[in-house]
Amino acid sequence: MNLILKKDHLNHLLNAWRQEYEVYAPQSLQNFTHFLPLQDGFELAFDKAHNTRIPPKALFLPTSEALLKFTRFGGYEEVPSETAPRLIFGIRPCDAHAMTMLDTVFEQERYTDPLWKARREATVVVGLGCHEPCQTGFCTTVGSGPFNHAGLDAILTDLGEIFLVETLTEKGEHLFTQLETASEDQSMHASEVQQAAAASMPIAFETEGLKQKLDQNFASPYWEEVSRSCLGCGVCTFLCPTCFCFDIVDEAQRGERVRNWDTCMFRTYSLEASGHNPRPSRVERTRQRLSHKYSYWLDQINQIGCTGCGRCVRYCPVGLDIRAMLRKAHQLPSEVLHA
Amino acid sequence: MPDINALKAEAKRILSEGMVDIVIGFKAGDTPLHPQPAFFKTPDEVDQLVYNALCQNNLATYLTRFPKTQKIGMVVRGCESRSVNALVFEGQHPREGLYLIGVPCDGIIDWRKIVEQTGEEVFSVIEQSDNTVLVEAKSGFFTLEKETLLHESCARCIHPNPISADVVIGELLPEGDPALACEKVAAFAGLSMEERHAWFRQEAERCIRCYACREACPMCYCEECFVDHISPRWTESGTTPAGMQGWHIVRAFHQTGRCTSCGACERACPMDIKMTYLTEKLNEDMRRKYNFEVGLDATTAPPFSTVTLDDKSRFVI
Ligand code: SF4
Ligand code: SF4
Ligand code: SF4
Ligand code: SF4
Ligand code: SF4
Repeated sequence: MNLILKKDHLNHLLNAWRQEYEVYAPQSLQNFTHFLPLQDGFELAFDKAHNTRIPPKALFLPTSEALLKFTRFGGYEEVPSETAPRLIFGIRPCDAHAMTMLDTVFEQERYTDPLWKARREATVVVGLGCHEPCQTGFCTTVGSGPFNHAGLDAILTDLGEIFLVETLTEKGEHLFTQLETASEDQSMHASEVQQAAAASMPIAFETEGLKQKLDQNFASPYWEEVSRSCLGCGVCTFLCPTCFCFDIVDEAQRGERVRNWDTCMFRTYSLEASGHNPRPSRVERTRQRLSHKYSYWLDQINQIGCTGCGRCVRYCPVGLDIRAMLRKAHQLPSEVLHA
Repeated sequence: MPDINALKAEAKRILSEGMVDIVIGFKAGDTPLHPQPAFFKTPDEVDQLVYNALCQNNLATYLTRFPKTQKIGMVVRGCESRSVNALVFEGQHPREGLYLIGVPCDGIIDWRKIVEQTGEEVFSVIEQSDNTVLVEAKSGFFTLEKETLLHESCARCIHPNPISADVVIGELLPEGDPALACEKVAAFAGLSMEERHAWFRQEAERCIRCYACREACPMCYCEECFVDHISPRWTESGTTPAGMQGWHIVRAFHQTGRCTSCGACERACPMDIKMTYLTEKLNEDMRRKYNFEVGLDATTAPPFSTVTLDDKSRFVI
């Protein structure tokens, strides 16, 4: 259903939602934007940046959290998983799309993460499409797009004075019951804006056959070349909306088993207890990051494991650009795999 | 700004004369705000060399990745040359295996300060001869004063000229004012204990423990960082207040008498965290109490790297 939300009505609506939900929306934090709960007198920061610095995955998988509390004498209790109702407003389509991919990791048939699941179920997600797409993003290249619906309960299109609201699920419909229905002209206008936005984004690299190139060039010197200046930090993966790796640590003094973000770019990630490290240098770690996103995800769910948000491009401290790395990968020879 | 052609010529010369196996410098990045560290192995590759105020990394951080037998050329600014000296003192590379092409540095631009004024979509950045920077962004053209864009560490830099370089390309610059370097420390030291804690907390609570600051720092080259130790466990692993104190404060202390105030750690941080006030405080203590600044040569031991038998604290021996 298409509805019309007047921009000057937005704050009123957000405040109304606050009666029922904890509402998160991008607000300024230092020089960047962050999904923070709305407080009285809030100021939204959509003009400042397309994407928040930290992706919204952090609202479902915090940087650190206790999974259970234990005592020295063998007793333990799990941390309760219920979450109060939440609404995330203004998530970009690339980030929402990423959430659906993470669902396939945390909500599998045999193993479901209760904390993730409870938070997902308690959260309504309202997206803001990108009528002016960002420069470092490449959502259209990787099968998403500036008005992609995946992972959203409703999506807004900026039409100047008004937003056109498309409700996509029952949860979404429930949020906008008070609004007028959009006219046919308005809906047409919105779909033109949406198409023009997608069309304005250049294709950043060729994805056809890319997986095969990466697989076939597993031992190529290419990996040493592209990883030479890599620092081996956590920026590109921690800021990535689809990266989900974590480490579980027992903090004995606190009596807590905690889960912390971890990344394949860290030396300790693949370090084994024996001292052996199957990914001994940044070369193998870079190969893991790129191959996970552009090959192994495809093996698992037949989707590229990157939604093109462009954070890794923007914030890598040494300016490594995954788009350029993949353009180069596509130039690699196709080799016959040796048995 | 040094003459780029003179820089390239020197880099090519040392490669073609076989004086070095590799030259570490910068090349143009794939995005306008981030030139990339680059490793040139042949004179032809040196054509890609760039040097400008957006080159934000401390290249000395790569030194410890190379075998000690490798002959390395490096483009170094003031802070980088001091980091190299400090690493040579610590036995990380023999000085004979290095050829340092020095460039006097008039400061690194903090790209965040550009984006703050122009918005996030920047297309190009051009430094102009009158100390202004022309930025083309989606929101329009901007002419910005370079001085207002400098990273804080550069604005308070004491030693902009390369130290013990094998050759210097460009005009030497006047030394910085140590009093300026002390300002931020003084502002911090003047606060009450609660206020100081609040200052620390405000920065630390954004930290996501990505360790970009550590990896960007030339002096953080430990094979196993204290935060990665499993046994004994030196600090909490998470982003809890205790974990943050453990990580940031101990990291700063490990830099005592070793940090060259380059600011590479802050510039690498994805969360815009400013922690150099801690290392600056320690640097000031080193200057004041021991009359020591690291990296002014490659032979003087930092005060905390020495032990004498009449040391008042006997715990080390
Ligand atoms: S990558 Fe696409 S969806 Fe994401 S912010 Fe940029 S334009 Fe929007
Ligand atoms: S952000 Fe850049 S430097 Fe850090 S691990 Fe990723 S590619 Fe390497
Ligand atoms: S790219 Fe690395 S950090 Fe990201 S999900 Fe894959 S293995 Fe984990
Ligand atoms: S601690 Fe920071 S300022 Fe000091 S040498 Fe390391 S990177 Fe440079
Ligand atoms: S770079 Fe910033 S966020 Fe990362 S560990 Fe250092 S201070 Fe924390």
